Amino acid sequence: MTRPLRRHRAVLTGLAGVLVLAGCGGGEDATVAETAPSSDWEAVLAEADGQSVNWYMYGGDDTLNAFVDDVVTPRLADLGVSLNQVRIDDTAEAVNKVLGEKQAGRTEGGSVDAIWINGENFATGVQADLWRCGWSQDLPNARYVDLDAPEVATDFGTPVDGCEAAWQQANSALVYDSAVLDEDDVASVDSLFAWAEADPGRLAYPAPPDFFGSMAVRTVLYDTIGGPDSLLDGEPDPSSAAFTDATAATFERLNEIEPSLWRGGETYPQSQDDIEKLYSDGEISAFFTYGPGAVGTQVADGLYPDSTREAVLSVGNISNVSFVTIPANAAHQAGALVLANVLQEPEVQLALFEANGVYPAIDVASTPTDVQDAFAAVETSPSVLPLDELLADARPELASAYLAAIEDGWVAEVQQK
Amino acid sequence: MSQSVVPTGPTTRQHAVRRGVPERLRPLLLLSPALVVVGVFFVGGVAQAVLQSLGRQPFLGETDWSVEAYRATFADPAFRASLTLTLRVVVLSTGLATVLGVAVALLVRRHARGPLTTLLQSTLAVPHLVGALCIGLLLSPSGFVSRLGAGAGLVDGPQDFWVLTNDAFGWGIIAEYTWKEAPFVAVVALAAMTPHVRDLEAAARVLGAGRWRRLTTVTLPLIAPPVAAASVLVASFAAASYEVPRLLGQSFPATLPVVALQRYQDTDLLVRPQAMAVATIIAVLSLTLVAAYLTLVSRLSRRSL
Amino acid sequence: MRGRTSLPGLSGLGSPRGLRATTTVVVVAAVLLPLVPLLVWSVAGTWRYPDVVPGRFTRRGLDLVLDGEVVAATATSLLIAVTVAVLACAIGLSAGRAIGLYRFRGRRLVQFLLLAPVIVPGLAVTLGIQVFFVRYGLADTVLGVVLVQLMPTVPYAATLLGAAYANLDVDYERQARTLGSGPWRTFLTVTVPLLRPALVTTALLTFLISWSEYVLTLLIGGGQVTTLPLLLFAAIGSSDRTAAAALGLLVVLPPVVIVLLVARRLRGRDDAWMGLARG
Repeated sequence: MTRPLRRHRAVLTGLAGVLVLAGCGGGEDATVAETAPSSDWEAVLAEADGQSVNWYMYGGDDTLNAFVDDVVTPRLADLGVSLNQVRIDDTAEAVNKVLGEKQAGRTEGGSVDAIWINGENFATGVQADLWRCGWSQDLPNARYVDLDAPEVATDFGTPVDGCEAAWQQANSALVYDSAVLDEDDVASVDSLFAWAEADPGRLAYPAPPDFFGSMAVRTVLYDTIGGPDSLLDGEPDPSSAAFTDATAATFERLNEIEPSLWRGGETYPQSQDDIEKLYSDGEISAFFTYGPGAVGTQVADGLYPDSTREAVLSVGNISNVSFVTIPANAAHQAGALVLANVLQEPEVQLALFEANGVYPAIDVASTPTDVQDAFAAVETSPSVLPLDELLADARPELASAYLAAIEDGWVAEVQQK
Repeated sequence: MSQSVVPTGPTTRQHAVRRGVPERLRPLLLLSPALVVVGVFFVGGVAQAVLQSLGRQPFLGETDWSVEAYRATFADPAFRASLTLTLRVVVLSTGLATVLGVAVALLVRRHARGPLTTLLQSTLAVPHLVGALCIGLLLSPSGFVSRLGAGAGLVDGPQDFWVLTNDAFGWGIIAEYTWKEAPFVAVVALAAMTPHVRDLEAAARVLGAGRWRRLTTVTLPLIAPPVAAASVLVASFAAASYEVPRLLGQSFPATLPVVALQRYQDTDLLVRPQAMAVATIIAVLSLTLVAAYLTLVSRLSRRSL
Repeated sequence: MRGRTSLPGLSGLGSPRGLRATTTVVVVAAVLLPLVPLLVWSVAGTWRYPDVVPGRFTRRGLDLVLDGEVVAATATSLLIAVTVAVLACAIGLSAGRAIGLYRFRGRRLVQFLLLAPVIVPGLAVTLGIQVFFVRYGLADTVLGVVLVQLMPTVPYAATLLGAAYANLDVDYERQARTLGSGPWRTFLTVTVPLLRPALVTTALLTFLISWSEYVLTLLIGGGQVTTLPLLLFAAIGSSDRTAAAALGLLVVLPPVVIVLLVARRLRGRDDAWMGLARG
């Protein structure tokens, strides 16, 4: 299970203004503490030697934690950098912390050196001028990353501007128990809902703003309006008729299916972890995930039934990239740069794919041939969709402003109704 | 003016000189470390929560006094749902814990030094965090009780079992508080059943009072003050604890402490005054509960005596 | 209802013996039942619904308790709890002396101030001062966490030790002084031994409050000061119930052992139990 990042209702208006007004180190140039420029990698390495990097990341995924311990930490140690993985429930906590430090006037020596981030949390930080920028293209391993690819150059509609470095890819898919659903049931959103109506109580999604629940709702939204294209052009405008009509129709469908969901939709699971527990307990038979690659391990461990399979509904999969960003007030900037670089190393990306089934954020075709061969040779579980089938119909994410509006709308129109 | 009551007498002259601190300043000096802790952290914290709820954000300079945070909070239907839930949880958990606790104390008082008392005391030591885990594993739809029910053929499957955790009513939270706090009330009630109480009960029996009458006119009024104090602690705890409702409740509506922290951790700092407003409301709620409850109990015990 | 011979203990219930035994069993079961799934899950490998017994047992949970991260968190928890207990006892001894032995103007106010933190929730208070901990570099540090945990523990220690001082026979101190013992020597060789039972109890109970604390540690420690309750909270949220149960056992055992140790001493001291209810 990969765990990207979720966010909260982002009411961003005025926030940056408040901080700037207060003269808390906001202003023109995000005050970057005295540190080696990212363009001088030798200087970065020299400065990083001996630093201890506080990396804030979602900590509920044990296999990912093990990957950090077993693969990332030793590589950093070889470079004299010690890694302190700070596990949090919600990426918004780390953003809130950096904001709090900014409010308290800590423009340097900040406690957060790096954050695993994307989407609204990243956009919030951009607005409040929290991040160090213009460095990610300078990482030596950035040569393996297709920096011009839309999903790497923009993050849920916000330009990346070198303020964060890609390290994971997430793709949505439906996980289901083939002993309960057959292939026709998982062909489209309509057929899935028809199955749920015939066999009620066995489908569930977590309550947005949970990141996964939000994705499930967007899947229905994409299906309702025939893909995200109509909402991708121009400035995002959550008050536009195109968007409000789309969400109204989506919420109507979700309210219609609600009585056929787990617990009749009377209550929604709080998190993807809850969803996975329900599936592993046999309470539900199908759920949406952003981490289809990790399902094989769950089956191998006996947590999921052997009959577990995956499908991409006719609407296609929703895919995004998640990143590592560095706050401008971070105490150990050089160490954080080294961390971001290590995460883009082909061998590290390969290890992540092997251990966790997390698809690489780098462009595999640009890596040395032995790495490419190794990627091709990774055995996948019969429960897991082959990469080509998964990615056949990948759809981009909407802008963060839309996500916030969808999540708020869902709470008001579906949950509270 | 300060004056020492206990260490007095002529013998103090000699060491008073040696000590060098005037006798009347000694209590102040002795108290100062504790007063610093309570003054800085507690009084300072309460004052800051109130000030920040009124729009005074430290280090942000130009902020204005405003009751906007309270207005926004009370206008929010989600807050009203949270308040209702919180009050429900507080009233039901305190009521259940008090009634069950006193009942258990009456049951075991004859063996107040027996293993059952020890058992109650050890439950008391279980951290609420662990309690929440236990109740979750016990009462969730696929929990232990549901499995026992399925084994006995009473439950068809997790869907067939009641939603007792992460539910809208708050059953899971109430169950945890009751499980943890009833033994607390019981232990306090047991401690209050002193030999003196026993003597008065015996006297009442000699005077011809029946069992029920002895219970309601002698035993309960005598143990009421400490039991009331314990219940007040239970209520204020139930109103203010974070981890139990966070783990056993829903994200909407959530109890007030969960809402306070959610708003505090919002990535929009402008929501912080609302977090402080909720925190202040929790503090006021706790204090009101204490005051109301104490008034009620003192009235009740006066009447029955 | 009959039973003229019933003891006062029965007076409230007036129940026949059989009913009483049944009730006792129900009480014991109600108290213990929630702990059963905790114990079983800690060794459960696979435990699919609706099995009442796990299909497979595992040592994974027990191994996890010996994992480096858990050991480090245990050490942090111990360091913080011991420091908090020692500081709270020291501050409480000092304040308790004033409360127990002196009558002075404002004594009631002081007693009220010392009671207030027990009633007003720590969460509400800590939200207000967190930004100052950040400002002065105390956030994310063990020192900051220790300081914030003094808030719930010091009032408790002062009240308990105040009661102990009130029962102290100061004649012993006076005699020691008359015999030429200095104030510190008197304190260490006469007062502390006399107060020892109360002191041990206070130390253990303040240790316990600190050991169980979650939300204050989270707010001030910022996730960087990782105590066992923080690890446990994360584990409960994850889908790994075996890990959560194993950690839960690790967190619950020391308090239970401690309470069993001090239970005899606490009997009849309802004020001493007050702090415990807040774990």
